[in-house]
Amino acid sequence: MAFREKLAWVTLGAMLVAYAIYFSLLAATFDPAGPEGPQTVRMIVLFAAVTIVQAVVVAAASAVLAIRARREAQARPDERDRAIARRGAGFAYFVLMVGMIVVGVVLPFDGPRWRVVNAALLALVIAEAVRYILVIVSYRRGWHG
Amino acid sequence: MARPPISNDIRTLRFLAGEMTQAELGERIGLTRQTVAAIEAGKYSPSLEAAFRIARVFGKPLEEVFRWTGD
Repeated sequence: MAFREKLAWVTLGAMLVAYAIYFSLLAATFDPAGPEGPQTVRMIVLFAAVTIVQAVVVAAASAVLAIRARREAQARPDERDRAIARRGAGFAYFVLMVGMIVVGVVLPFDGPRWRVVNAALLALVIAEAVRYILVIVSYRRGWHG
Repeated sequence: MARPPISNDIRTLRFLAGEMTQAELGERIGLTRQTVAAIEAGKYSPSLEAAFRIARVFGKPLEEVFRWTGD
């Protein structure tokens, strides 16, 4: 398996686990009828904690992968790596755009602020997941661009 | 994903070139070993520049390395 494919697996896995935990805890603890201020602070602390843990896990796993495949990790991405990365980013852009249109145009009329913020975050997570899934699929099944 | 209607003889040419490895070929043309393997397996269509570089390594014209197999 290519080093960059392994990196995509690690990043995707860590991101999905991290934000599954974040959204689950948020759904379990956030009270829409409660006072907004303290709950928003709790939400931000939870988000910061999840993001930091995710970043540390990805950094540690990337370091281990880089040590185990030193030459490959040091090599610059070649034309196939760049084409696959472009493909993933291109699809993810459209997913993000649709998500942001929903968040920016629909939600402000009938949703509280915490829901708008978390819907935007969810759109980002989905777009990133699409990017990494496409990268992995392209490495595994081939890419003719 | 559908395979492109292009085949290649890179594996044979590597063998005839003193059993050159995929990594050695990749190093000479600026591609990773995995990309050379993907090209050989028909999982990646190289750029025109990479295709010419591969042909030059083996001292062959492009059409002796890559062939159009579609209609």
